[in-house]
Amino acid sequence: MALSDNELLIQAKSGNDTAFEKLIYRYDRSVLAIALKYVYDTDEAKDIYQEVFIRVYRGLKNFEMKSEFSTWLFRIATNVCLTHKSRSKKHLHESIDEQIATEDDEVQKYELADDEMDPGEMMINLDLGDIIRDAVDSLSSKQRITFILKHYEGYKIREIANMLNCKEGTVKKYLFDAIRNLRKKLKPIHQTA
Amino acid sequence: MNHNEIKKWIRLSLYGELTNEEQSVLELHLKDCDECRNELEQQRNLLSLISNKKLEVDDKLLMEARVQLRGAIRNERQRKGYLDNMVQYLNEFITIPFRAVLSGAALLAIGFFVGYLFYGSSTIDPNKLPDKINHQFTVFQDDVTISNISFIDSDLSDGEVEFTFVAMKPVYLKGRVDDPQIQSILTYSMLNEQNPGSRFNSINAMYSEKSIKFDVDVKNALITVVMTDENPGVRREALKLMKKLPYDEDVKQAFIYVLTTDTSSGLRIEAINALVDAGKKGFTFNKNEIDLFKQKLQTDDNSYIRYRTKTILQEYN
Repeated sequence: MALSDNELLIQAKSGNDTAFEKLIYRYDRSVLAIALKYVYDTDEAKDIYQEVFIRVYRGLKNFEMKSEFSTWLFRIATNVCLTHKSRSKKHLHESIDEQIATEDDEVQKYELADDEMDPGEMMINLDLGDIIRDAVDSLSSKQRITFILKHYEGYKIREIANMLNCKEGTVKKYLFDAIRNLRKKLKPIHQTA
Repeated sequence: MNHNEIKKWIRLSLYGELTNEEQSVLELHLKDCDECRNELEQQRNLLSLISNKKLEVDDKLLMEARVQLRGAIRNERQRKGYLDNMVQYLNEFITIPFRAVLSGAALLAIGFFVGYLFYGSSTIDPNKLPDKINHQFTVFQDDVTISNISFIDSDLSDGEVEFTFVAMKPVYLKGRVDDPQIQSILTYSMLNEQNPGSRFNSINAMYSEKSIKFDVDVKNALITVVMTDENPGVRREALKLMKKLPYDEDVKQAFIYVLTTDTSSGLRIEAINALVDAGKKGFTFNKNEIDLFKQKLQTDDNSYIRYRTKTILQEYN
């Protein structure tokens, strides 16, 4: 029978590295997924991943098991994301506004050429993933991490509040602000979708 | 309840965060309110649009992250070991009576400092401070190895040097390879030794023509080594030993992983041979795995691997 987190934790705290690996391998894919969605760069995501688990490794001895290991781990993960200094700020290379402006130009061009152009067709040459990535990337760090944890990772608001060490109301505010900002940023393509 | 409040509920509802009662209230409101129904549709479209973005963690990325983490933890352990040794060294050096003396000295120093702050800079004459006590101590026994000497101060002008080092003591252990304690140490070593030769030897030590019962940790460690060790010789030794383990889904997945991702054709050959043997013994492959073999048949640059892949596919046709 598989050992529980707490059983592995006790072994890991006493210096059993195999137990430590088993324990973190239960969660490391999620940590990497959060990091990847936060920074949109595989190398930086791996940096965050490493920083998170090194902090966990260092903190293991002092972890008093008052909370679940996973809560503690994801609290560290969100903190590392929030304090992460991006090597090359992604949204500097091409802002969402520029992309939307380009899209508007395209619309005007098509409208001049053919009034009956299907708005869906103008999306073909645009990389939707990049536009959404830039929109999410333009959110404040707390809005972004909240949105990623809720929308992509499916955590409950209560769990996110635990990770961010704040009240559920604050999480809701970050989430609502994030959605409002995304809606504003993605308005041109959102309305054609 | 106003529309703004309802709009918040709409967002929460889409994320399944409303209670049953709240959900009922919302649905009742939506029946009679065009504006809020429209809002719900807009929100739903937006979230579905954003969900289109594909950014998933694949196994390769996860494995790379794990390999890098293992290296970082090795360094961390070394650093920690060094610190622990220093603490132990200081503990042995600074005996309890000496600690009391040291505490007294620290208090005295604070006193001097406070005095200095209040009465100016000329109250302390360094020449009048007592000489440092010269401690002769024996902390090392014959079998302790000293390594990683690092000088903090090697300038001999003041007649003193200052340095740190790591002191290691060998431990002797003799036992059967099916002894869990022996397996546990060898498992630790195959995962964590910095020297690839030591990792290789730890795996090799468990290899025997006789049937040996291995702990599940050994299996997991071998799979990890096969998938992540940077040294192909170590990976190959692990693969060889893994073939001695009872064949199961985990072992099969590890073989398939090696076959599809390892850069060494020798290792891919070992993996395909193991899979062919497993197939002959009656183990089955699912559709995805068969598709992978088909892909291998087309793309692998090694003709022997293509030939063996064909063998598996013929068995399944």
